[in-house]
Amino acid sequence: MLCGAFVAGFALAGWVVELDRIVRDRFEGAVFGVPSRVYSAPTIVYPGLDWKRLDLRGILARLGYREVGRAGAVPPGQYAWDAHRVRVHLRAFEHPSRPEPARDVVLRLSGSQIASIASMPSGRELGAVLLEPEPLGAYYGPSREQRELVRLDEVPPHLVDAVLAVEDQRFASHPGIDLRRIAGAMLANLQAGSIRQGGSTLTQQLVKNFFLTPERTFRRKLQEALMALIVEARYDKAQILESYLNEIYLGQRGSTAIHGFGEAAHLYFGKSARELTVAESALLAAIIQSPNGISPYRDPERATRRRDLVLDLMRDQGRLSETGHAEAREEPLRLASVTPDAGDARYFLDLLQRQLAETYAAPELAQEGLRIYSTLDRRLQTLAARALEEGIAAIERRLPRLAEAPADRRLQGCLVAMRPQTGELLALVGGRDYRVSQFDRCTQARRQSGSVFKPFVFIAALEPVGGAPRITLASRLDDAPLSVSTPSGPWRPRNYDGEYHDVVPVREALERSFNVATARLAQEIGIRRVADVARRLGIESPLPLVPSLALGTAELAPVEVARAYATIASGGVRPRMQTVEDLVDRAGEVVERRRLGFERVLDPGTAYLATSLLEGVANRGTAAGVRSGGLRGPIGAKTGTTDEERDLWFVGFTPDLVAVVWVGFDEPRSVGVPSSVGALPIWRHFVEGATGGVVRGRFPRPPLIERVAIHPATGARALAGCPERRDEYFLRGTLPDEVCPSGPRGSSEFLRWLRRRL
Amino acid sequence: MRGAVRPRAIARTALACLAALFLTACPFVPLRPAESPSLHLHELADEGDATRRASLRLVLQGLDADMRSDVRRAQGLYARALQVDSSNPYAYLALARHHVAQSDPQRAFDHLVRARDLLDAYELMSPRVEVHLVGLRGNVLQLEGREVEAQALLVRAARGAPDVWSDATLSASELR
Repeated sequence: MLCGAFVAGFALAGWVVELDRIVRDRFEGAVFGVPSRVYSAPTIVYPGLDWKRLDLRGILARLGYREVGRAGAVPPGQYAWDAHRVRVHLRAFEHPSRPEPARDVVLRLSGSQIASIASMPSGRELGAVLLEPEPLGAYYGPSREQRELVRLDEVPPHLVDAVLAVEDQRFASHPGIDLRRIAGAMLANLQAGSIRQGGSTLTQQLVKNFFLTPERTFRRKLQEALMALIVEARYDKAQILESYLNEIYLGQRGSTAIHGFGEAAHLYFGKSARELTVAESALLAAIIQSPNGISPYRDPERATRRRDLVLDLMRDQGRLSETGHAEAREEPLRLASVTPDAGDARYFLDLLQRQLAETYAAPELAQEGLRIYSTLDRRLQTLAARALEEGIAAIERRLPRLAEAPADRRLQGCLVAMRPQTGELLALVGGRDYRVSQFDRCTQARRQSGSVFKPFVFIAALEPVGGAPRITLASRLDDAPLSVSTPSGPWRPRNYDGEYHDVVPVREALERSFNVATARLAQEIGIRRVADVARRLGIESPLPLVPSLALGTAELAPVEVARAYATIASGGVRPRMQTVEDLVDRAGEVVERRRLGFERVLDPGTAYLATSLLEGVANRGTAAGVRSGGLRGPIGAKTGTTDEERDLWFVGFTPDLVAVVWVGFDEPRSVGVPSSVGALPIWRHFVEGATGGVVRGRFPRPPLIERVAIHPATGARALAGCPERRDEYFLRGTLPDEVCPSGPRGSSEFLRWLRRRL
Repeated sequence: MRGAVRPRAIARTALACLAALFLTACPFVPLRPAESPSLHLHELADEGDATRRASLRLVLQGLDADMRSDVRRAQGLYARALQVDSSNPYAYLALARHHVAQSDPQRAFDHLVRARDLLDAYELMSPRVEVHLVGLRGNVLQLEGREVEAQALLVRAARGAPDVWSDATLSASELR
């Protein structure tokens, strides 16, 4: 008997020691794994900006700002909007190196424009204010738990009071289990004839969530009680309470479980835990019992009744004054608008994860609680996703047979947008539906590039390498039939229209995308030189040194095409692609900062001539459809349609934005429409939305470019008396020798004569 | 007759008083300062369109942060300035100065070239801004250890704008 008791006691002691080890491992290690979050670039608001185009209301709603009716001062996180002004109390943006203070500001509106911004109450005019970055998503572990950690000294005392009032009013005095509460619960359950009340303390709930399964067995209850006692013996009440506040499950956002009051405050009220009012704290405490059953979104009346019950308990337990109780009960339920899951940014999140993989493996990203501040422009991202979705749907309406394919074999597309001067990635939509396919066609796919490659041929010919360039913009190219012998037999390029055009001006050759003239030009300057230009501009994919390279047989990723055109748009300076501005770790330290990087790879003059050529394509050539919706301002563009219309490309750029659209099937087959019908409208809708229909700025003309009148038909320099003339751009020192009208002597001789006399 | 003389006397007295007042007040009348031989960016605060103005104001805030030695905040503000207007040459100029101050010649040079190209392309180049390009190029060479070439440029900058470049450096407040 004694021996049996000894063995049992020994076994119990061993069990307790084991439980103690488990408790210590958890509490003394990293208590919580916090998923790393990704944020957009901040929105900068300044006088002169079009608030409608910016979707200022939408941004405020997504950031959880709440609209109030009154026009006077508003508390942080709220705004009042009337016909001519918006008063908004911007929240502080907490960042170790670029924090922004909370600011009460008034935006005066004039039509759709922000006329001025004033700091209140001083009325001091401000040049610009920043709205905090918007959350784009997070990297979850298998449990898909989302939480924002809070410290006990950060949360308002009334939140702690609300939780203790309803969940564990004797928390301060019990040793981990509350015998009075257990007895009370047993009595209540006996009277009800079923389990109506639980007797668990906060500590027991914490233990259950941390270590145990939800099964209801005697052994599990005993284990819970023992572990609660161990936790209370080892750790102080403040530590236990703080862990509870961060651990407790408080609801669901889609497939993501919301844990802790920090995260719940954002989910339900769009604010941080420290900003919670008494009524809001009571509501969160009220839903602990059944976060989904008492969800204020699902059943606001039930949630309000339960909140009021918590407020009553707080008053009855002396945690809330009569006045405070009355005021809190009067407070209407004001929930944050449900922010849509940033589903359309998930391709971008995947790209970041691949880029960060060298430093942070996937499990680390799910645990380390990094804040990743990205370059993504949330507004442009939304526009890009919409433009792609609607554009592909329009193609399917035009060709209904395309829509009949199963979901995983449907027509696909992607759009990537970049800021040319800095290389910042602004928008990325890698496919039409992330849920169906996570393959990112802008960064992971390589497809035949078609005519979007041609500008590289023209740049190679326009670039003065060791002397005069092969062509100027006044030159004329031979578009007669061409045959090039290759190891696999003669190669005979043909034009899209099946015709040959004899001799054509350089501009027309690119504007109408003539294959034969381009292929001949590439042969004259050498394919190696064409490939070299493509490399310098930012193309990294393999480039086969074959004659057909000139017409885009190389398979390229849309993102590298975007970078190459960004180099042209920024005057020959190749930017390093940027997706991240900086990373902040859980302790609030900046652990990584990406900086601007660029390299001059093309002289500014040649870059300008290429830009001018591509402006011609957008104004008169195959890309002229970009103007069909009334889009104004400087645009350079190029269409690209590969054999049998398998790949539809469109690249376009403004001084501030370059965007590439690709449309096609994952397993290449004919789409049935050319790029100008399939890809161009997507680009146009995107840029119209981004710019409001008017592109700002201009492509700056470097000083070494001269603008001179020429005779269009011959490319000769136009003098007085020339019957037809238009202005053309030349690198200094490359003006044509021929003149119009030609003099009695040879034109070159005449020009020399003229120069002697000037 | 006497009645005709009196108004003239009054007028003379009034004129004399006005002249006396003018001469007395003269030292206190703020005269427009002579234009500095080098460019200060605050002079451009009201130039360009709304986007350029907003961008420039962020550059000025960045310079303020640099003046407080708040390096990271300055970098953040220059990045914001480029986010608003990525073709703003003065943002690149301020970044070039910033990287010189941080002893980072490669980045300083990259930004300096960018600033020069954009100033050229937008026809904004003038002797007043060129003097900063010359001086900063000298600073970059100095950081690279090419002292002789650096001195030639720094002397040129000091001759062009002694008020700023006589000490061979461009502080944030001087550029501001």
